[in-house]
Amino acid sequence: MKKSISSAPLAGNRHSFWVRFAKQLDLQLMVIPAMILILMFSYLPMYGVLMAFQDYDIFKGFLHSPWVGLKHFRTFFEAPEFWTVMRNTFVISVLRLLIGFPAPILLALILNEVIHLRFKRIIQTVSYLPHFLSWVIVSGFVASMLATDNGSLNMLLQKLHLIGEPVNFLSIPGYFWAILIGTGVWKEIGFSAIVYLAAIAGINPEIYEAASMDGANRLKKMWYITLPGISGVITIFMILAVGDILSAGFEDILLLAKNPVLQDVSDVIDTYVYRVGIRNSLFSYAAAVGLFKSGISVILLTAANMMARKLGRSLW
Amino acid sequence: MSATKKSMMLLVCLLGLSMMLAACGGSGGGDATKPETKDTAGTDPSKPFVLGETPLTFSFYGNYDWYTMNPWGQDPATRWIQDNKKVTVQAIQSGGAALQKFNTMIASGQLPDVIWGDRGTDVEKLRKAGKLVALDPYLEKYPNLKKWAGEKTLNMLRSEDGKLYQFPNWYTKKPMGNGGYAVNNKIYKELGSPKLETFDDLYAYLKLVKEKYPDIVPFEVGLLGQGIDFLYAGMAENRNVGQVSLRAVPDGNELKSLFSDPVYRESMVFANKLFREKLITQDAITQTRDQVKEKVNNGRVAIYGDFDTTVLGTEANSMLRAKDPEGGYTMIWPLHKAGVDPKKVWVNEFDSLGWNVSVITTSAKNPEGIFAYLDWLTGEEGERIIFWGPEGMYWQGTNDKGAPIYTDTYKNEVEERSKLMAIWDTFQWAGNTAFIDGSKAENEMELPEDKRDWATVSQTNVAWKTSFDATEFGNIQPLPDSDEGMILQRVSDIADKVRAKALFAKDEQEVIALLDKAEQDAQKAGYDKLLQFETAKWQENLKKIHGS
Repeated sequence: MKKSISSAPLAGNRHSFWVRFAKQLDLQLMVIPAMILILMFSYLPMYGVLMAFQDYDIFKGFLHSPWVGLKHFRTFFEAPEFWTVMRNTFVISVLRLLIGFPAPILLALILNEVIHLRFKRIIQTVSYLPHFLSWVIVSGFVASMLATDNGSLNMLLQKLHLIGEPVNFLSIPGYFWAILIGTGVWKEIGFSAIVYLAAIAGINPEIYEAASMDGANRLKKMWYITLPGISGVITIFMILAVGDILSAGFEDILLLAKNPVLQDVSDVIDTYVYRVGIRNSLFSYAAAVGLFKSGISVILLTAANMMARKLGRSLW
Repeated sequence: MSATKKSMMLLVCLLGLSMMLAACGGSGGGDATKPETKDTAGTDPSKPFVLGETPLTFSFYGNYDWYTMNPWGQDPATRWIQDNKKVTVQAIQSGGAALQKFNTMIASGQLPDVIWGDRGTDVEKLRKAGKLVALDPYLEKYPNLKKWAGEKTLNMLRSEDGKLYQFPNWYTKKPMGNGGYAVNNKIYKELGSPKLETFDDLYAYLKLVKEKYPDIVPFEVGLLGQGIDFLYAGMAENRNVGQVSLRAVPDGNELKSLFSDPVYRESMVFANKLFREKLITQDAITQTRDQVKEKVNNGRVAIYGDFDTTVLGTEANSMLRAKDPEGGYTMIWPLHKAGVDPKKVWVNEFDSLGWNVSVITTSAKNPEGIFAYLDWLTGEEGERIIFWGPEGMYWQGTNDKGAPIYTDTYKNEVEERSKLMAIWDTFQWAGNTAFIDGSKAENEMELPEDKRDWATVSQTNVAWKTSFDATEFGNIQPLPDSDEGMILQRVSDIADKVRAKALFAKDEQEVIALLDKAEQDAQKAGYDKLLQFETAKWQENLKKIHGS
């Protein structure tokens, strides 16, 4: 999509901009509402980040609160929780990137090989339904499934004689990351796979036919045709995922990591901001930590895009 | 190339525009800081406001996620108030996000006339910004609050400037509470009803349960392991559960560290032992309220104990009794270490200030009228109407103490009545504990023993007698945006973590090591400074209570 627009013939002078604009008026009209939305909800509130450099007082308002420079950033960097929070954020994000990101691609590839159409549809529907459940509900499922007392998983493992005593899954730090990533994959795999399935559907079937003539088997076709065919989509989603790397999660962690024992492995930037900043109405502190996170995200996003550009598939 | 340039230009324009608009937004926020003039609507200051003569309308905001006020005038009680007292209340709902709503109202300068919520941080913030109306001038003119709450409670409610801004809800002079241990009757009987008084008895009993009933949870400690704090309360005399959540232990005239307190340490070692031997529910920290309810309602626990025992226990008791008249639960006197005087074990705490407060903001057009209404509400007539509905429905006439006399409809229409009483509960902003509880007890004791309410019986026999008067520890914690507030946040995190970790520790040594580490971490975070701050506040409270 992006490619086709930017490779359209360009005149390169000012007049042609308006001429072209008028020609595309119908398209532009469709874009404008989206632009306004972004302007109103993403750019307009941005002045609020300045709060990070103030001691914001809700009664005095933004204009009358005293400026304090980098005080809140310093507090955050010097907080004893800082390194734990940063480590967890990175580890959880990287795990998501390594496991949560390729999982839907794999599902899409597998589903694409299913010939029985009804079976394929059923699998697709079943796998994307969890996406529409809120985290409150999902975490309720998980909590009762993993409970030591009458939890289904423990009962199953005990019946299979794999364990003697029930395991307290939600209270052992060693299991937390696996539970978190696993639940996330279960919830989102089907829905994320839709994009890749759509991309696969766009591949010219003649290429497959030609490959069959040349004697390629299914695995070879998947590797040499399907994957390269959707690699553009994969790269774009990869770049976006990298930019999001510090958003290790919020609701899911907040709801699954109820046991304070898990705090050493579960506390990430967003949950920290919520617990310390928002719950205590420390607006400036919350804004400073949030701004710090956004800063790093921008750097990561740019870096990922630069790498992608070297492969000839950058986002901009 | 030119495409990138153009998109850059567009971006710059967008940014410019957003900044312009931002500036407008900013100045709008600035207006909020202008002092608002108080409009007393031409009332004669010497004469009291008479409800029912002049119509009174005010807006009301309940500062809780879970709170939704029912529509005013749609039920018999508020319709009666509207007709007879000419009072109309417009609800401002939190919509499940009280914190955001509250902050938005402050930032936009549009405060409701009355805010109903917890004492402490939010009230103090509003007071410091000069947004609250002092209630002192009205106290003498209206009889009820002064009479029922009493001078000591009102003194405790006063802010630093010596003025009263808060109208209390469910204030009390008598102990109250819902917590305690409840024993599953069926299992207890089948095991031969052994003596259950000391922690040794408890341990032996739980062991027995575990052996004879492997599928039963021996000791259910409820949500967030609340019952574990009972062990602290029973480990020595005059300890109480509140000290655990306060993260401070009084010692003489000083508040001392919880982590190095020998009594707390002993209780955590005991809790660890019970937990390790699987005598305490293994989901103690992580389970949801529904999981607790499921176990208690099905009789799958031998002993159940948390801060809500009389609440969850009532439903469970009637469900189990329906199946087996011998079943159900009985609340027992709190367990304790051998040698500890059982009369000095406190598994509940109350403070005379009650639960929460209403404050009248400077946005109110007629603050005196609002006070008059709240004062009427907390008096006998108001309480009867808002708790039991207008006369003629569920009660007819009163006894010599003002207690409503229940009608047969009250006794027979249980379902409809429970529904209505739940609705009326959302209008109860000035609860008068002494009057309501006294009236309930008067009526309850008239009933034959098996018809009595399980909660009332448990409360009057046990829970209220084991409730510690913690009035002097009210409001001693610092505001969150102060240095001490940041320390409190860290210490609380440390305390929650160590409490959970201690349960999972492999042995006694590890529990002690964890508590040592917690003490060190807390000291590093500035625990001493926090304790000094709280000690000073506590001593101030004592002075207020003893009225010097």
